[in-house]
Amino acid sequence: MSLRIAGMGWVTPIGHGVEAVWDRLLRGEEAITQTVSDALEQKKYPVFTVPSVALKDLPPHPRLRRASAISRFAAAAGLDALVYAGVKIDAEISNRMALVFAIANGGVVYTKRFYHDVVESGAQSASPLLFPETVFNAPASHLAAMLGITGASYTLVGDGAVGLLAIKMAEDLMVNEALDYCLVVGAEEADWLLCDAYHKWRLLKAQPPIEPFRQPPRGMILSEGAGAVLLARKGAIAIDTIHPGANFSRRQEASEWMARILADLADGQPAIVIASANGTFVDLAERAAVLRAMPEVVVYAPKPALGESVGASAIWQVIVGAQALGTKQLPPLLHAIPEIDLRFSGPSAGRILAHNAIVSSCSLNQQVAGLRLSI
Amino acid sequence: MPTSNASNGKSARGRVAVVAAGVISPLGFGLAETLDSLRAARDCIAPVRRFRVDQCRCKTAGQVPDERLLAHRENERKARRLHRASHMVIWALKEALAQDVQFRPELTVIGTTSGGMSFGEDYYRSLHQHGGSRRSPTWIANYLPQKAVVNAQAAFGISGPCQVIANACASGTNAMGHAFECVRSGKYERVLTGGYDALSELVFVGFDSLQAATPEKCRPFDRDRTGMVLGEGAAILALENLETARSRGARILVEITGYGISTDNHHLTQPDPSGSGPRQAMELALHSARLSAKAIDYINAHGTATPLNDAAEGKAIAELFGGAPVSSTKGMMGHSLGAAGAIEAIICMLALENQFLPPNINFRNQDPDFDLNIVANESRAANIDIVLSNSFGFGGTNASIIMQKFAA
Repeated sequence: MSLRIAGMGWVTPIGHGVEAVWDRLLRGEEAITQTVSDALEQKKYPVFTVPSVALKDLPPHPRLRRASAISRFAAAAGLDALVYAGVKIDAEISNRMALVFAIANGGVVYTKRFYHDVVESGAQSASPLLFPETVFNAPASHLAAMLGITGASYTLVGDGAVGLLAIKMAEDLMVNEALDYCLVVGAEEADWLLCDAYHKWRLLKAQPPIEPFRQPPRGMILSEGAGAVLLARKGAIAIDTIHPGANFSRRQEASEWMARILADLADGQPAIVIASANGTFVDLAERAAVLRAMPEVVVYAPKPALGESVGASAIWQVIVGAQALGTKQLPPLLHAIPEIDLRFSGPSAGRILAHNAIVSSCSLNQQVAGLRLSI
Repeated sequence: MPTSNASNGKSARGRVAVVAAGVISPLGFGLAETLDSLRAARDCIAPVRRFRVDQCRCKTAGQVPDERLLAHRENERKARRLHRASHMVIWALKEALAQDVQFRPELTVIGTTSGGMSFGEDYYRSLHQHGGSRRSPTWIANYLPQKAVVNAQAAFGISGPCQVIANACASGTNAMGHAFECVRSGKYERVLTGGYDALSELVFVGFDSLQAATPEKCRPFDRDRTGMVLGEGAAILALENLETARSRGARILVEITGYGISTDNHHLTQPDPSGSGPRQAMELALHSARLSAKAIDYINAHGTATPLNDAAEGKAIAELFGGAPVSSTKGMMGHSLGAAGAIEAIICMLALENQFLPPNINFRNQDPDFDLNIVANESRAANIDIVLSNSFGFGGTNASIIMQKFAA
């Protein structure tokens, strides 16, 4: 079955809109650090947040009135993907479109606020307005309502690889010929509680930059935003193969799985790898896998520039891969030290001859997956 | 028939068998205990023990007893770190795999709403009270929704990919429905599916704050119903292409023949009062199974006993199915959210295998707003071949699945 990318939408800490974000990546720009304070402990963590101007064009909708940031990011990215594809929503299109939403931490801002009230003041103070927004599929529900989707809508939860699993699910859904489109959206909202959790896991860096593939790893910076890809049977970029991956129990297994995934996705054509490297232990697994499966390939990782957006991150990587193939350019990999034995995209944006872009995702919570794009 | 983007029958169609199943819920540990509870119309709702509920309207829930659940831990040191949700999934998976030791899934699709949420609560409370705890990293690592599935897969050496669907209370049925379509399309031969959820304070208080939970008995479809009680549990079903299963001599427990999914955009938490969302899901499931409504012998309703849900669902069922017997089994075990659809599918499977109708307990008065043939208060023997199970959730997700007695 032919599965193609018909449209894309991108909301990131360095801007909003596929062309705008891409231009900034090509120029070697990176997100500006904000600081979030831990209201309970007065701890501060660095984070890359989406500037409010990024949502200025988001049309008002009753569903978004009380919605959390994650729902707004998703709505903006989803609507952009439709505009990109020239798809105007009407009842017929809505009936032939499915929605698959990739999520990791969900509406953490409202969840924290809701539970904080319970902890602080007891169950009687729990807010019935906040609770529905804590449910994982609330952002998908809002987007489905905005688009008038009345058929299939799925929210998949997972870690950094969940976006690729969502695209795999979309591929399975698109077997049904009654569907013309499947909108796949990944989103994340940053909050100090998440920062604290990743800090306690010893995965968070005290300050930027994210240094990809460095050993020993020094940690990551969390970020937020959304990415959307509108999948159809026509479009410039093809999704050739999706490797749904596996779960790894031990870190050593991660590189074995990644190598297997990369080997399965390689088809002998000139390729680039869009890696999930984020400055943590996953970089080691990815590096080992690339060296084992395709040592000559050029590697680019967007997370040093954009941060680790967990639920949105794999969709961001797919957009990077599609843009790289479409524009035949690859941004410079930021903050990679020269001693690393991989071939990186150069210090300034350069032309590439790749026919394929392989997106690999090795994520912090035991999931690995990959896919191959071609033009 | 509305325009559908569920299965339209154009894809290559394989038959889909359930070859193994496992369940753990307030009704019991395993298929046999569950069957006993259903036949006895056992009320398994009890006062909440896991957290304080003195400020809540509702003070009861269906609960899986820890003293039995945790007694099954095999690797004590590692098992101590796992959330009880993981133990439930492991228990259900163990029961299923014991029935079919050859079953190796290519894909796992599981539904949940809140994963190991109580570990997230522990983490937050420790942060609030003491600035954290030595156990924080363990709590954080094990509260994630996919963790229970990953742990269960690891416990039985299953390394394939897993998709964890969080479509609120429809998650379990959505997971089974998607798994069914994956097998029926021919893309997969064997898919493991099901759902799980463990009771948590955040979710309990949330439903209480919405006044969706009742301080009284849970009375699905009763005129005087006042709301739901929560539950917990896990259920696992092993799906396989029927011909493949037969060729290797697997026991066929039941067939899944249809699935419908719809999205009701009326409101984040309230169904369209017309019942159009549930009706669309049930119609799509019938269309997917190539059946007319008359073919359905029993409906296991979502039936949470909230005034709005039961009104919308009751209206849709009455309009579509006339006098087919209907029950909601949530009065006995509570609403186990992401696990509900999977547990109820297993209840349907047991009903088909044992030819009886599961009861809708605590039922006193027919609601004049919809005319349903409720299986009131007691199970009863019946000749049934085809059953439909509904699950509806926040976000307007509606899912219906059709199961059929296997005829060789």
